[in-house]
Amino acid sequence: MSAAAQIALQNAINGLLIGGTYATVAVGFSLVWGILNVINIAHGALVMLGAYVTYWLFTLYHIDPLLSLPLTGALLFALGYPLQRIVINQVVRASFFITFLLTFGLELLITNLALAAWTADIRSVTTSYSGWSVALGPIALPVVRVVSLLIALLTAAALQLVMTRTRLGGAIRATASDQEAARLMGIPIAHVYALTFGIAAATAGIAGSLISLSFPIFPSMGAGYTLVAFVTCVLGGLGSVPGALLGGLLLGLLQTYAASWLGPNFDNIIAFSVLILVLLVRPAGLLGRAQRFRG
Amino acid sequence: MTARGLGGPAGAILAAAALAAALVLPSVAGTYYIRVVTGIFMFGMLASGWNIVGGYTGYPDFGAAAFIGIGAYTTGILMLRVHLPFAAALPAGGILSIAAAVAMGSVLLRLRGHYFAVATLGFMIVLQQLASNLDVTGGGSGMNLPPVRSFTTFYYWMLAGLIVAVAVGFVLPRSRVGYAIAAIRENQDAAQVLGVAPLPFKIFAYAASAFFFGIGGGIYAYWFTFIDPPTVFNIDFTIQAVVMTIFGGPGTALGPLAGAVILKSLDVVLTNISIFLHNVFFGALVCLLVIFAPRGLAEIFQARGGLIEAIRTELRENRI
Repeated sequence: MSAAAQIALQNAINGLLIGGTYATVAVGFSLVWGILNVINIAHGALVMLGAYVTYWLFTLYHIDPLLSLPLTGALLFALGYPLQRIVINQVVRASFFITFLLTFGLELLITNLALAAWTADIRSVTTSYSGWSVALGPIALPVVRVVSLLIALLTAAALQLVMTRTRLGGAIRATASDQEAARLMGIPIAHVYALTFGIAAATAGIAGSLISLSFPIFPSMGAGYTLVAFVTCVLGGLGSVPGALLGGLLLGLLQTYAASWLGPNFDNIIAFSVLILVLLVRPAGLLGRAQRFRG
Repeated sequence: MTARGLGGPAGAILAAAALAAALVLPSVAGTYYIRVVTGIFMFGMLASGWNIVGGYTGYPDFGAAAFIGIGAYTTGILMLRVHLPFAAALPAGGILSIAAAVAMGSVLLRLRGHYFAVATLGFMIVLQQLASNLDVTGGGSGMNLPPVRSFTTFYYWMLAGLIVAVAVGFVLPRSRVGYAIAAIRENQDAAQVLGVAPLPFKIFAYAASAFFFGIGGGIYAYWFTFIDPPTVFNIDFTIQAVVMTIFGGPGTALGPLAGAVILKSLDVVLTNISIFLHNVFFGALVCLLVIFAPRGLAEIFQARGGLIEAIRTELRENRI
């Protein structure tokens, strides 16, 4: 294999590996945007909380991050459900400005409480297997990131199953397509909204856990991941699990190739230029609204 | 709080008194208060500027800080590398902001709602990263402008910018352009059917709004003497302008200024109480405002049945 081909292949692998995490970050954001019509600026802050939960469980109680994943998800669900039910549901029918501002306020609140509680110090989770890497011919596969991608795929698959195969998924989809009709059919809208937000928070927490394995943790880390979620959703299409997956992998590939060809400081220029192009050519995203929650 | 509420001779006297007080303040107040009030003027100008596109036109521009950056860097580069005086560099920043808004607006303003918001945000982030990669901007290590001894300079520049921004808020709704913009906000498709081509008017509003952000950024750069990409291409400027506009009353001439005065003063008080927790308080405040007064001060003051009834109505209408 020539050196150029080897670099291109390694970039593809790296892009897909990081893209899986992006998809996990974005899938909940996409759900909340597509179904509740709320752009959740605080999504990245929930990712940050997930990372800290993982960090503290690992540091204080020596629980392996991969084992604490379900616990992180459950804790974030327990935070997300009342957040929607008690706070965001109050204004969920108001204009988009209002919910945008509310979640911005929540982001400010959560991030700065975290800053007060845990200081701005940069922390990291270093497990015994953090540095492991498997050589596959000329290609290096970092174990942690491969595992992260697998968990990302599993999370997306599980969520897609919930959305398409369960009563809850049916209720969520019914609410998304016609809120009034769903209410008349006896679906408790406020509860369904809160469940949807809780699920989104749980996936954000899981994404935070995965991120803590490979990247630094600090209170203001969330903002960057909210932007990642934005781009991923717009690329893939709103409210669609496969869309978030496709968007995440595409964004990972785009950023990795841009960084490799133009320099590490060009990843966002490329990502957002592509975002604006996609918006103009195909505003509903690559997988569009028409196909939401179908395979 | 609206233009109508403050019209007539009483309003004119009040405005003249406020202006006189603002002009005299630097000669009686200490440096700290001059700085605080300069900050209030700046955000009053930004909120009034954002109101043109967000309030009057209904386009949620969440990348307005892009023009803070353009204004700050244009002013900085012209002063530092071309050795122009500030008074010449600042208008250049405003004009370049208008040019950038016309160029980007003709593309982005075809999008609506959420998508416009996301695209403008993306535009700002692209510029931020561009500024950290170019040589002329000093890259990631930023840029130091020549320092100035007197803070009153910036005070008067900001005051002048603020007066123009508020004046635009008064004049615009009474002009032909203002009627077209209002028609587009209420129903763009209907406006188009009636022969109003939306895009030029939207570009006009976007460019006017960008101008005030560009000027604000230019003065800010000279005022703080140091700029780097994350401090000027900072979404915080946008969000604060949006919060102040919505709190004060979007689409009114004095609402954004009222929002800036009240919220910025509150923020200063909170910072004095705890520099550590003031953002926590501010976040909580934003949440409470949004839930209990989503349409801002203006609507609540005009509501029949008083404040409590207005809040109750808001809660009933928006919750599920």
